[in-house]
Amino acid sequence: MTLLTPEEEVTRTRRRGTPLSEHAFLVFLLAPGLLLLCAVVLYPLLRSLSTAFFDESLLYPGSVFVGFENVMDVLREDFVRLSYQTMIFTVGATVLPFVVGLALALVLNQRFRGQAFLRGAFLVPWLIPGVVVSFLWMWIFDANYGVLNGALIGMGLIDSPIAWLFETDTARAALILAKTWNSFPWIMVMLLAGLQTVPGELHEAASMDGAGAVRRFFAVTWPHIGGIAGLVILLEFIWNFQHFDTIFVLTGGGPAGTTSTFATAVYDTAFKGYDLGHAGALGLIWMLMLTVLVVIYVWMSERGDKESKSRETTGETR
Amino acid sequence: MNTQLSRRDLLRYSAIGVGTAAIFGLAGCAPTSTGVVAAPGDGPTDFTFGSWSLSEDAAKAPLQGAIDAFAGTKNVSASTVSYPYNDYLNQLTLQVRGGQFAGAAQLDVAWLSAMVALGKLSDLSEFSTGRGYTSAALGAGQFDGVQYGLPWTIGAIGPVLNQELFEKAGASVSPATIEEFEEGLRALKGINVIPYAAATKAAGLKDILVWMQTFGSPIIKDGKSTLGDAESVAAVKWYKKLFDDGLIAPDVDRSAARTLFAQGTTAMYDDAPVGKSAVTGQSSDSGLGDKMTSMARPVLASGDTPQHVLWGHLIVVAEGEGSATAAEFAQWITSDDDQTVAYFESLGLPPTTQTALKADAVAANTYVADFTSRVTSTATSSPLWIYPGYSQMETAIAEQVQAVLIGQSSAADAMATAGAKVNSLIR
Repeated sequence: MTLLTPEEEVTRTRRRGTPLSEHAFLVFLLAPGLLLLCAVVLYPLLRSLSTAFFDESLLYPGSVFVGFENVMDVLREDFVRLSYQTMIFTVGATVLPFVVGLALALVLNQRFRGQAFLRGAFLVPWLIPGVVVSFLWMWIFDANYGVLNGALIGMGLIDSPIAWLFETDTARAALILAKTWNSFPWIMVMLLAGLQTVPGELHEAASMDGAGAVRRFFAVTWPHIGGIAGLVILLEFIWNFQHFDTIFVLTGGGPAGTTSTFATAVYDTAFKGYDLGHAGALGLIWMLMLTVLVVIYVWMSERGDKESKSRETTGETR
Repeated sequence: MNTQLSRRDLLRYSAIGVGTAAIFGLAGCAPTSTGVVAAPGDGPTDFTFGSWSLSEDAAKAPLQGAIDAFAGTKNVSASTVSYPYNDYLNQLTLQVRGGQFAGAAQLDVAWLSAMVALGKLSDLSEFSTGRGYTSAALGAGQFDGVQYGLPWTIGAIGPVLNQELFEKAGASVSPATIEEFEEGLRALKGINVIPYAAATKAAGLKDILVWMQTFGSPIIKDGKSTLGDAESVAAVKWYKKLFDDGLIAPDVDRSAARTLFAQGTTAMYDDAPVGKSAVTGQSSDSGLGDKMTSMARPVLASGDTPQHVLWGHLIVVAEGEGSATAAEFAQWITSDDDQTVAYFESLGLPPTTQTALKADAVAANTYVADFTSRVTSTATSSPLWIYPGYSQMETAIAEQVQAVLIGQSSAADAMATAGAKVNSLIR
């Protein structure tokens, strides 16, 4: 190996340039991702939100700055109604699939013949795209040629068809049911993973102490899966808060706008009403509400991380 | 990890990266249209045709055949863009507005003002002369005196009946007044069918406007909405009564009504002549076509003129690449006699030229001839069509009428709200 003289080393360094610091290299690696994020997420987001402050229509060229006028209109005309309707869907479509998912996870956590097959089979609704699921339920609930009415009339339970999607209450229930069918498998899988971390000995010990199934669930199972359950509920809540396709396909926000949520209202206002300013204001308020939920999610995740780290540390010192 | 990367390397790679991104970016942002209609003499070029009919089973094959035939004659390639009818206007508006669509596009006559407002449609006046279009048809393609659209088919929307079911129920197929009509509907209910598959879904509830006109509401007067007047409120109350009495059904739009009619589950619905091919195409009853007939819409008092809304398709051309050939295509498909008569034979779409209307195949079609005399003869444009925001107006009205049907609002309150909304959309 030939050793370089100090002069040669300086010349080579000059030719190759100053070596990059660790920090600069990290910036270099991050830059393409950040640029892409700005181009495809940040700019469109800011551009859409900025329309909240303009009177802008898809039909006419140009826009006029109107300050907070659109935001005030939304708060005055739509906010209470949309918040209420969005919460009905969000809470219903979070609680029901959680209950179904938890029940199935508890059953599928037991050893029995066909357990593996059922674990796979219950995933099928989750694998079907949301829009397809929505069309499927639309044909089930159709008032005039739907499968549900046909079955109920066939069984003699009703005399004439029920307009499931044409009455506010039944339309809301139909939406929650359709969304539940699509999302319970995900919840089931997450909870099943949590259940498998519960040591079997604890259940055995609790049984020997005379604890029944319910007592064992709350005293042994729940403390182990509570963290996962909390995150699953929060994530499901956030996703349902911004859910679009089931509502759009199944009811289109109807009847008379009683099932529309922030998600469908933004679409309808922008692409059916062509009122970009009002849609931007709806989007701005919707995003602020979502931000609160995301902050809670991040806080819960970090708290979970800290708790598991502290548990590990406690275990190590023992 | 090897971090022996120098600032000079960083600069070099960054330059390469930015350069590549710029090339792709510029390519992506390059305008796809020139904004100028090429002169007809420039020779044929590839073009795009947008159409909702291409997404409908009955129309797809004959229409694609026509497009291929024209493209073959001109030795060009025609690409197609298609969306279902209910999504078509939104999608086309977004694409034309964003400069992503140039070429010929099928248009409902009702949508012309909204598309003109975008400022990208070509003036097709030079393509409309000497082709024998009827003056009524040409008028449907004009806005502010400019010929933006070439008329492809013009007709009206009116009541379509299953004559066999009407006879079975003993209902009149030509009731003169609303009272007589309602009696017929009650008789039809007695034979366990949905008497009238009138629109009740928001997407189709614009059909109620013609009933409001039947009750005497002008909808628009002196540039202001009259919704909320006694006539429009009476019409909505009457519609609600039909709904409550089970004479019309929930959850129905045009597509659902056609399916119910094809199944023999309903005796009547509102449609244009083109609906016949869609209905017979999905029916298991091979004789349904012979049982189909039309009726003039009943009137409030004897002597009133039956109210019907004009219906039709235009072909417009959005300026840009291939627009000259697209305009030739628009002219050919709407006025070539062989083509329009063949299209009529396939789908029952009445042609728009004098010679095609006199063709044996058209003149011999009694369904269309009867429809023309009973319905199309008194049809007029909707008073809302002159406003670019007409679609939003119809949506606002539909939502209010739906609120009445589900008992959420009174007819008077709903129509007052609808009227205020329509007024806010008038520009």
